[in-house]
This record gives sequence, structure tokens and C-alpha cells, in this order.
Amino acid sequence: MEASVFFQGGTLVLQDNNQVEQISILFQFVKNRWRCEAYRYHEIVSWMKEQGIRNSVPRWQPLKLDLHDTRELHEYQVKALDAWKQGNGRGSIVLPTGAGKTLVAVHAIHHVSASTVVLVPTTSLLYQWYALLTNVFQTEIGVYYSSEKRVHPLTVTTYHSAGDLIAEYGNSFKLLICDEVHHLPARTWGEAALMTPAPFRLGLTATYPEEHEQVGERWRLDELIGPIVYTQQLETIVGKQLAEYRTQRVRVDLTPQERATYESLHETYLGFVRDRELQRKYGADWLRELMRLSAIDPHARRAMLARRQLLALLESCQGKYAALEELLREHAGERILVFTESNAVAYTIARKYLVPVISHETGVAERKHILEAFQAGRYSVIATSKVLNEGIDVPEAKVAIVIGGGVSKREYLQRLGRILRKKEPLQAVLIELLVRNSIEEGKVQRRQVPREKR
Amino acid sequence: MLTSELIRPRLRIHGSNLRIEMVNEQDPSLQQKAQDLINIFNRYQSQSQAAWEEAVRAYEGANVDYIFIRGLAKVLTDAAVFKPLTAPLPPATLREHIFSYGPVFEKPDLFHPTTRQQVLREVADTLELSLDEIDEIMFADRGASYRLMDTGPAWTPSTLLARYNLELARGALYWASHITIEVASNYKDLWKFIKFFKLMFWAQPGQDGGYRVDLDGPISPFVSSTLRYGRQLAAFLPALLLCEHWQMQAYVRPPQARGEILYRLDHSCSLRSHFKSSGTFDSRLEEEFACEFEQKMGEKRGHWRMVRESEVILLGDTVMVPDFVLIDTRDEKRRILIELVGFWHPNYLKRKVEKVRAANCARLLLLVYQGLNLTEETFDGTASEVIFFQNKPVLKEVMQTVEAMANRIYGPCPKLKRTKKTK
Repeated sequence: MEASVFFQGGTLVLQDNNQVEQISILFQFVKNRWRCEAYRYHEIVSWMKEQGIRNSVPRWQPLKLDLHDTRELHEYQVKALDAWKQGNGRGSIVLPTGAGKTLVAVHAIHHVSASTVVLVPTTSLLYQWYALLTNVFQTEIGVYYSSEKRVHPLTVTTYHSAGDLIAEYGNSFKLLICDEVHHLPARTWGEAALMTPAPFRLGLTATYPEEHEQVGERWRLDELIGPIVYTQQLETIVGKQLAEYRTQRVRVDLTPQERATYESLHETYLGFVRDRELQRKYGADWLRELMRLSAIDPHARRAMLARRQLLALLESCQGKYAALEELLREHAGERILVFTESNAVAYTIARKYLVPVISHETGVAERKHILEAFQAGRYSVIATSKVLNEGIDVPEAKVAIVIGGGVSKREYLQRLGRILRKKEPLQAVLIELLVRNSIEEGKVQRRQVPREKR
Repeated sequence: MLTSELIRPRLRIHGSNLRIEMVNEQDPSLQQKAQDLINIFNRYQSQSQAAWEEAVRAYEGANVDYIFIRGLAKVLTDAAVFKPLTAPLPPATLREHIFSYGPVFEKPDLFHPTTRQQVLREVADTLELSLDEIDEIMFADRGASYRLMDTGPAWTPSTLLARYNLELARGALYWASHITIEVASNYKDLWKFIKFFKLMFWAQPGQDGGYRVDLDGPISPFVSSTLRYGRQLAAFLPALLLCEHWQMQAYVRPPQARGEILYRLDHSCSLRSHFKSSGTFDSRLEEEFACEFEQKMGEKRGHWRMVRESEVILLGDTVMVPDFVLIDTRDEKRRILIELVGFWHPNYLKRKVEKVRAANCARLLLLVYQGLNLTEETFDGTASEVIFFQNKPVLKEVMQTVEAMANRIYGPCPKLKRTKKTK
């Protein structure tokens, strides 16, 4: 039998190797078979040719794609694309949030003109890519995530579901695109890229991980995707392509009754943490220790419950709803995004002010409807829990109101980036609601955000 | 299956071994709590999932055993059926309608002359619904609003606690990179579930009969201890419990462990499977053949003993489990394998023929239904024997071939005194 290499569940398997003189060092003999990781595909092609091994890996297909898109690429986008082509279609492009990374990717797909899989971190982004690719190529686009699984030559999937998709259809795609590629070095996130034989690879991100951030992680980005082929910093583009933005903080007071509850919860919660010296003894892990204790120690359990109630109180105190209502009235007619920490508050806002809500429970069809209606101006407000956190395209949003506390730096910047993504150079504003004299103020102080104006 | 935060706190690490703190199914206080939850669950029949979850939280109170309570509740929830309310119009349509007015407020202002109440009343009138209905339908399609329609199996405190323990054992496997099992029976079921959960296996004959099987996934060898297949391994565990004699070693990396540790289980554990083992026979044809054999050749009437699916032919990354093994009672080393190829789907048949060719097994006798478009050429070059039949295999012919095969492979059987019956 003629020797051949085929794809199996993310690996490449050498079959009938009796005649093969030299087996590539990339292969290992595992479970009675010579195997290697699928991402090595581009490295073994010439070896297969030399040894006369039949290459049964590719199941990808050429596509005839027409670009139905009138947007012209900006100069930096053209440069980015050229740099990627120069690098044999392998590598990452680093552009700030809102600078049109997806448009670059669309042109990359058009350039390769073959079946492509796009990996994204969230279902929101999955929807966004789905809508964009549908419009741009006017062909059926596959989606593969927890609630829908349809595979087409152009398919969008989440990192979470990508492993299953790739295990089965990995060799159906010639081009792999990883959106928000900075996630890749982390445990499990990179596995899908490792399992894909696609010879063409494109990574997109605004925050490429530093060298030291990749140390100790499982993979290095350049190994899985290729080197950085193009970088453009935020400062260079602000003012040209993106609108200026400012941030504003609105401080609210608790009612006397809420204050009494807050103080009592605060004492139960942080009193315990203080008495047991959790922060001193466990450092950054103190909260995990508190959680562990809560399954053993009734005092710890009460402290945990107090913590939960305290966070709920801070997010949904009367003052915040009053401030939100004022802001909604003040910005009447403008497109507003309201960010909440919890699902419960997002749905409460939806019921209270009769505005649409997008949460992780919202299906793609309704998401599409809401975002399109928002764009068209039929909806002026969207309430959303954490789902819109990463790079969703809502160009019409001019005001973002953040209700919940506990926002990490990256999240904060991403929310900023989102309202920045504007069509006309209007000034955008991000408003953060904070409870005065509460743990929320501490959180803000710990967070360093550049360019703030009070 | 339980979520990992319901498993983690019940894991105990002793050196390089993992133990799971299971509950004592006989403990009266735990039985009482299980009964309480079953009662609450039954009371929440036709109420929303959110309401049931709220009730669980209330029952939990400030107790420290909340992990256990939530675990039981999760088992109940998973085995039940929650369905959306049948609404007079799709909730999404109602939302579209209502939200086109927002944002609105309790008090009107210049830009929002209509109040929230007015909007709701207007919509209610247009759609001929009551305000309460609007309130109910608005998010009726959220999981939290789904109604408890069927509480699932008739739980007793004992069955609930037993299932909880099984789910804890499964949970430990969420962090498994691979498992090794040793089994000596029930191969077909095992194989069926291994394939079903898309696991990769590597089997070797064990020392005292049976097989030692390593289970993981294709990418495992390259991504040292990937947990990618943990969920599949966990899902698979009840299949192992269907076997009589077995043991399992799982290589796990729970978050609180520093490195890889071992989780062991064997047939002496009290866990019970909720999977159904498949019936004894896959087809009517097999059943009739086995019956006929017992009637005509069974007991003292011959020297062949028939055993079902007790041997596995290992074929690299797949296996073949022949339907019957005939064992010569005069010399138990003399074994002939029989596979009935009945009325099957062409694709299945194609794979079957490929397996027969790959097996190339001289001890294998195929009984093939003639209407299958298979000819003798199909099996050309394989070492196996083939008998074609029209309606059902002719037992006499089969036994003659079996004798001939045995003599050819093992040589003539030394004439022995009549041996005692091996049963």
C-alpha cells in the first residue's frame, strides 16, 4: 500500500509507512501509529513530496468569493494586509480596537479564496463576524457554538467550541483566523489552533501579549500563528480614524436605610476577612480562601453571603437607578449602551425602562434584530450584561453607562474601545456610576486608566 | 452532570491519590435533606426554574453544607424537563413591540411624554392581552422562566443520594487527561460507549484474561495531560459500571493539586450505573441462532460451549467483537469465533467487511445472509471462513465447519474420557 498522511482529530497520521525511507522528526510513534500535531502541516508538505507520500490531509476547497463591500481600506490596513501576504500568509496583525481589523481579515479571506474558519472569544463576536461575512460575501456562513452547529466553507466558531469543530472538520479549512489572538497562549485556548492543519493563519489583536506574559504559558503565539507582521498603536490613530473620548464619574449616595444595610453587610463581610487576616495570610488568594472556608465555617459562610448581598446592593441601589434615569433623560435621542455586572440588573433595566437587553441568553436572531434596530435608530438604548465586552461593533453608540463595579483594566479599555468605534468624529463619553464611600471607590483608585478627564 | 464548583470542594488529595468525599447514603440526616429537596421539587411542579432555584437558595440558608444541597438540586434539575410557557404570541415579537417605545419612565417629561404604564396599557390593548400576561410573556423564553413540566424519575432519598455520589465520581474525571481500565466482560457495550463519546482507546490483553484499555483523545499525546477529553471521560464512566469486574485508574489534575494525581475506582465501589445495558442479543437472528444451539447442541449433547461476545479482536484503532465464541469443552484453548452478518445497512456492512479483512483471523467464521449483495469474492484473501445462508444459518453445516476449522487450526483433539461438564 502507498504511504499516506491523513488528518485525525487534530493530528496528522502516517499510514503504511513501510516504504518511507525517512520519517520526519516531527512525527512521534504513539499508539501504534506515527503522528504529529496538525499545525505542523506546513512544515511536512515538502517532506511528503520528497518521500512520495500521498497527502490526504487537505479537504479544503477553493471558493469563488465576490467582495460586496464598498469600504476602501485605509492606508494602514493595506500595509497590514501586504505585510501578512509577504509573510506567506502567516502571522498576527496588531491594530487598536476599532481600527478595522475585521476588514483586513475579510480581504485576507478574499486573497486566499478558500474555505476559512474564524475563531472568536464570545458569541457576541461570533454574531458580529457572521453578520459581516454574510453581508460581504453574500453566501451562507456557518456558525458553530454551544447552541447552533452549522458548518459551511466559511465558518465562525468560539474558542470554547473550536476544539470539537476542529477535531472533526479541522482539515476542511485552508485559512485559520484567530480574533483576539492574545488569548491563544493560555491553557486550552490554543488547542484548536494546534489541531488545525490550515497552512494560512492570521491572528488579530489590539493587545499582543508581551514576551514575559507568554512565559510559562503552553504555547507561544508565533509558533501557532506566525510572527507579528504589522503593528499600529492607539495614539497614531485617535483623532484620525476614531473619535476622541472622555470618561466621567457619577457618584451616588445610598439611602439611609441602604447605608445601614451596607454597613452591617460590610462589617459581616470585611470584619471576618480582617479578623482572620485573610488578606495578610493569603495575599491575592484571600477571596478563594474565604470561599473555601465558607463550606466549613458558619462565620465564613455568613461573610460570603454578606459579600454577595453587598455587591447586589451596590449594583442595584436606588441612587444608581435614579442616576441612570437622569442620564437616560439627559441623553434623550442619543444611542446609549448600559453595562451591568449581573444578568438580573440588565433584565430589571429592560423591564423598568422598556428597553431591549442583550445577555448571553440572547439568540443570534434577536441579537441581530436588536443591533440592527439600534443602528437604524429604532432602539436608542440597549441594556447589556457582560456579553458586549469584547470588540463588538456598535458604531452608533455615543454614550456608555457602566452600572456595575468590579471592572478590570482590560474590560474597562474594551468598553472604551467599543464606544470609540465611531462613524463620524463625535465625542463619545463613558459614564461610570459609583456609590460614594463604598468599596467601589477603592476599585476605581486601584485601576490606572490613561487619558482621564474629570 | 454537576458543575465543577460543586465537585471541587469535595475532592481530597492524599499524596498522589485523589479521594472524593462521597456521602453516606444511609445517613438519616442526609436522607432527610434529600427528602426535603424532593418534596420542594415536587411542589414546584409547573413553576419557573428561577422560582425553584430561589427555593433551593432559601433552603440552603446560611448552612455550610450548601455545596451538597446545590449538588442534589442540580441532579434533580438535570433529570427533569423544563419547558417554555405556551404564549399566545412569541415573546420576542412582544419585546420588539414594547421596546420600540423605550426608554420610558414612570413620570413623563418633554422628550418622553408617554409613561411606562401608558405604553404597557396601549400594547396590551393592541395585542388583546392583560397587563399580567404581558409581564409574564415578556421574557417567557428565558431559561429562568421555563416551567418545571416533568420532575423526572421517581426519586427516593436513597436513589438521589446514590446518583449524587455517581455524579461526584464523574466530576473527578472533568480534570482527567486519560484513564486506564481493566475489564473482562461486556465488551460490546463498552465499545459502543467508547465510540459514542468519541474517545480514543488502546487495548492490550490483560494477564488474567480480559483487557487493559487506555482511554484518551487523539491530541492527548501532544498536549501533555490535556483536559479536553475530561467531559467525555466523565460522561463515559457509567458505561464502565455496567461491567461485572473492572478497575479504573484516572490521571487527574484538579485545580487544587500541584501535579497529576491518581483517582482509582473498581467494582467493589457501591456506585450504580443509570445507563441501560443493551439487551443480550442485537438481533432476532442472533437470538434464534443461540436458542437453536442450546436446544440441539447445548448441555451434554455436544462438546461445544457457546459464550456471547467474550472476545475482542483488536484492530489498531478499532475493535471487532464477534457475536459468539464456541469453546471446546475438551480443551478450552480450542476456540472458534462466530460473527453473524445479517440484514444490515450497506454502510455498516462496508465497515464490517473492512474489519473482517483487517482482522484476517483464521478462527473467525462468518455466517452471511445471502441477500446482501456480498459474494465469496468479497472475502477473498481473508483467512476467515464464510458460510452463506438464505433464511437462517443451518446449524448442522455450521457445526461441521466449526469442527473442521478447529481441527485445521489446533490439530485433531486428543480423544479424552468424557470430561465433566464445565458450567
